[in-house]
Amino acid sequence: MGETKKLTNVNAMPAPTWSWLKMNAAEVEVPAGLAPARDAVSVEPAPGSENVVTGNVEAFDTEMVAASKRYAARSRAAAPGDAAERAKLAAGELDTMDVPALSAYQRGAVRAEEELSAAEAFLTGCGREAYAYLRGLSGKPSVIDVPGGVRAAVTVRVDGRPGAAAAASLDVVVRANATLDLTLALDGAADPDAVAGVVGFAARVFAARGARVNVASVQTADDAFLVIDDMGVFADEGARVEVSHTVLGAGRSYTGLAADLRGDASRIDVDTSYLGAREQLHDFNYQIRHLGKRTVSNMDANGVLTGTSSKILRGTIDLMHGAKGAEGAERETVLLANDGVENKTVPVILCDEDDVAGNHGATIGHVRPEQLFYLGSRGLSEAQAEALFVSAKLEDAALSAPDERIRASVVRLGEAIVPDFEEELA
Amino acid sequence: MAEKKRTEVADIDRSLYDFTYGEEGFERLDAGLTPDIVREISAKKDEPDWMLEFRLKSLDIYKRMHTPTWGPDISGLDMDNIVTYVKPNTDQKSDWESLPDDVKNTFERLGIPEAERSYLAGVGAQYDSELVYHNMQDTASKMGIVYSGIEEALHEPKWEAMIREKFMTLIPPTDHKFAALHGAVWSGGSFVYVPKGTKLDFPLQSYFRLNAKGAGQFEHTLIIVEDDADLHFIEGCSAPKYNVANLHAGAVELFVGKHAHLRYSTIENWSKNMYNLNTKRARVDEGGEVEWISGSFGSHVGYLYPMSILAGRKARCSFTGITFAGAGQNLDTGCKVVLGAPETSASVETKGISKSGGVQTFRSSIVATPAATGSRASVSCQSLMLDDQSRSDTIPSMDIRAKNVDVGHEATIGRIGDDKIFYLMSRGISEEEARTMIVNGFANPVSKELPLEYAVEMNNLIKLEMEGAIG
Repeated sequence: MGETKKLTNVNAMPAPTWSWLKMNAAEVEVPAGLAPARDAVSVEPAPGSENVVTGNVEAFDTEMVAASKRYAARSRAAAPGDAAERAKLAAGELDTMDVPALSAYQRGAVRAEEELSAAEAFLTGCGREAYAYLRGLSGKPSVIDVPGGVRAAVTVRVDGRPGAAAAASLDVVVRANATLDLTLALDGAADPDAVAGVVGFAARVFAARGARVNVASVQTADDAFLVIDDMGVFADEGARVEVSHTVLGAGRSYTGLAADLRGDASRIDVDTSYLGAREQLHDFNYQIRHLGKRTVSNMDANGVLTGTSSKILRGTIDLMHGAKGAEGAERETVLLANDGVENKTVPVILCDEDDVAGNHGATIGHVRPEQLFYLGSRGLSEAQAEALFVSAKLEDAALSAPDERIRASVVRLGEAIVPDFEEELA
Repeated sequence: MAEKKRTEVADIDRSLYDFTYGEEGFERLDAGLTPDIVREISAKKDEPDWMLEFRLKSLDIYKRMHTPTWGPDISGLDMDNIVTYVKPNTDQKSDWESLPDDVKNTFERLGIPEAERSYLAGVGAQYDSELVYHNMQDTASKMGIVYSGIEEALHEPKWEAMIREKFMTLIPPTDHKFAALHGAVWSGGSFVYVPKGTKLDFPLQSYFRLNAKGAGQFEHTLIIVEDDADLHFIEGCSAPKYNVANLHAGAVELFVGKHAHLRYSTIENWSKNMYNLNTKRARVDEGGEVEWISGSFGSHVGYLYPMSILAGRKARCSFTGITFAGAGQNLDTGCKVVLGAPETSASVETKGISKSGGVQTFRSSIVATPAATGSRASVSCQSLMLDDQSRSDTIPSMDIRAKNVDVGHEATIGRIGDDKIFYLMSRGISEEEARTMIVNGFANPVSKELPLEYAVEMNNLIKLEMEGAIG
């Protein structure tokens, strides 16, 4: 790799663990000096949805400021490290031994809740440095503003070019009781010399009261590309957000999603599907903060790793003080289909409230013996069985591709992994 | 909607442990950490030159290493104010009656001599920086088992060579800042050697009492269980509460031979001014097994993650732990496992309870190396929040680098479910009883693994007095 620029603290989990595990955050080296390719980005409203793509670049910030005012009066009950406790410590009414010695992230969480407005606390999953980098590449963001009660559909495509850096940035406002179906296609076909390129996407999403936001992101870039897919979501009362990430390509991919479930009864469902092949690295970071009462989050990840690929998935459910009745769940299933793969998983639950339920589970392993036995009885060897799971992952992505162009990109990738994939699919 | 009433749970009753005696006749080094203090500790022990060299190197490493930033805040621990060595006014004895009254009374009140008479094959008791009592039944001695103070063993040429070969190899001073500190100022602790094929039917126990205000305790426990041998070792600890920081930075190194078995049980009940930065690690050879049973109830701050390195084919480990964090406590506990050989297996089951503003974190790592083909691990952790003023975090991590490995992980956090209370009440059980049953049931997987006396102690520690409705 030639000259590079380093992005630090990418996909950082809020509550770190032992640094020797090298899981807390990523450092991303991006090729420096790549030409920006703004014409590689297209924002395509579906017929009838043309008017939701606007030039109002103030829309998102305006809504966040208004939301900050609405939620400013939120009071915080007694909890470790709160202002009342700190005041007693300062006045000598409490001894330091009488209060828990909070960790940096625990102190930070209390302070953020006490001092930061909703707008100030807004995060994207990949972190500030990555977001700023992507916004720098994309220039002025595209704006999708869906009026109240309206249903709209928009597809955003980023077609990476060898030797270029292409990124889309998007501000999304989905107003009360409106619905947006947002499809995101992150692609990049390498040239014969496999010249490096960058594909990026950065989005801020405001889901107003009762809004529905459905995001389907499919990433099919060739291995010469570095892909960063970054999103932050704010969900107001009763808003519901569904995000699916299908990550099949790129030599290195970083996918981040942070959601602020501040409105009561807001909800997010995240479905992640990935395939790691060759020497690919897939790095995911999900951070769901429950602040509203009866908020719900579900994260479900399912992947296959083959070749000498590696993957890390950080998933944090943060059940913050006052989120009475909140429920957060995350589950991951990983199939390790080759020696030499590396799988890292950190499913975190942070809990500062008792009237909540947090669950997580992970199943990591190979094809189960009973599955192998069954497949063996059908004449399939272990290697063929592994290949079957890999092609099944690709077939699933192709069959559920939101449109023909994305399907064609999946097939292009599939051909590189599974011989005669297109024929098999037909 | 009517406001729900809160669950009320009493704090742990610490009166049993919260008593002090004076330090008349005790030898107390200056507070702080300097090469001269390290040399002085070494000189007092008349130890081999290599150990002094090791201590000084460790001190150098300590000074160069950073304080961890990922866990509970330890800025309240000022090493300049910590006395690293306090010698009580007695040498080591092998009968309780020979000890000074205050030392003897301390252990009597803690029930150690009674436990020795009832069910233990041997006992070591440490008071501040030195072992003051060590004894083992003749039957165990005749089996060839060695259980002595580690410093005593260091003066035996036969054991010195073995200690030199093993000492701080599982926990090198470079592991973390407080491992380096331990390497510099360690004092006291036990050495256990169980010969090949020897199975001891009754447990050995070491009890650590830190009486001195503003002091640290740095005992080193080294246990070698040879091939096909079997041992149960129990470790207890307590201290009275002071208004200044005390420090515990002990180290436990366990070597479990082929097809050997070691159970290591701990009830940690340090006072709430204690920074417990303890490190425990086991290496298990082919077909061997280490079982960790761990109850963490005390300390202002706790960092405790027993680690099992499964180095031989079919080596196994299990970790069963409970952590109870009450007012003023931040207990960060859990375990680490390295699946480092084929067909190894690990089972982790933990329970965490937080109340009255206490904070508890479960933290773990499961690492499967490329050699771990055919291995499996299961991790289950449950956390119970008893009020909305407390905090409970779960930070597990898995790093799997072998294909044929099965790792399962489950975790839940929540409060006592109204549905469970409702069901039990529909069977004629009062709400108070129902709540008690549920919390006892929650802790039961750990308490049933403890020796009876320790299970009773644990139940006493968790005195749950419920009143009002669930909320």
